[in-house]
Amino acid sequence: MNAPPDRAAPTAEPHLWLARFGDELYRYALGRVADAAMAEELVQETLVSALGALDSFRGQASERTWLFVILKRKLVDHYRRQARSPFVPLDLTPDHAPEAAFFRPADGHWHPEQYPAAWATDEAGRGDLALEQQELQRVLQGCQQRLSAQHLAVFVLRFVEELPAEDICQELSLTAANYWVIVHRAKLQLRRCLEKNWFQLPSPRQT
Amino acid sequence: MSIPSPLFNCRQATLLIERRADETLPFKTQVQLRAHLRLCPYCRRYAFQSLFLARQARAAAEHRVPADVVLPPAARQRIQQALDQRLGR
Repeated sequence: MNAPPDRAAPTAEPHLWLARFGDELYRYALGRVADAAMAEELVQETLVSALGALDSFRGQASERTWLFVILKRKLVDHYRRQARSPFVPLDLTPDHAPEAAFFRPADGHWHPEQYPAAWATDEAGRGDLALEQQELQRVLQGCQQRLSAQHLAVFVLRFVEELPAEDICQELSLTAANYWVIVHRAKLQLRRCLEKNWFQLPSPRQT
Repeated sequence: MSIPSPLFNCRQATLLIERRADETLPFKTQVQLRAHLRLCPYCRRYAFQSLFLARQARAAAEHRVPADVVLPPAARQRIQQALDQRLGR
């Protein structure tokens, strides 16, 4: 038997959700998906699900925190759907794998033209001015959008949402080995893309 | 399952750099990876840049949307209707 609560649990006020939290939920979603329409849809899904789950709102957390938990769940669902839609089997044969573009298949050494270059990311570098920081992040987001849906899903869930590896494997039905291969490939591609489109461009301050 | 040695293999070394963020590698593999990183400036750069990338991606999601962006009116109206319908109003 549940003991009766000693004081009344705060009640949710669903009719005020949109006015109170709509913009904040929308901004959060918009930073994490490719387009505004998808972000709007996620806000709607979140609020509609929350209505259906009102019974599970016990008032331990604030309404706001509770709604954000639901939105994060919706984001995971979104990335899972994206990753699964056109199913691409992993090609693990060394000669055809994407890694072959970076490393010599014979001995696994970097191809000389793929050697990672030094990045000016230190204090004196170009990365620490607020404006340049913003620009770098814009370039990085552009690079992310060029990843395959599956690679993007793994990358975002791991490094933006910071889900544990185990959860990601479960959500996306990946073995641990495949998961690491995907993280590695996504990082290799993003690294190269960022180097090409950001670090190798002349900095306005270096001229 | 044994892990192939990263000692002389940059492909394997960079894969393990990602993997060690998620789990503790066997001791022998850790030693081989450290030895590789001491010898190989390119994989050292990769290791540093890989962390940098992840930090920036997280920051980008947080900062990408200016604080004055609001839910567009059409969407707001649509969502309110969906909620009202379920609230029985």
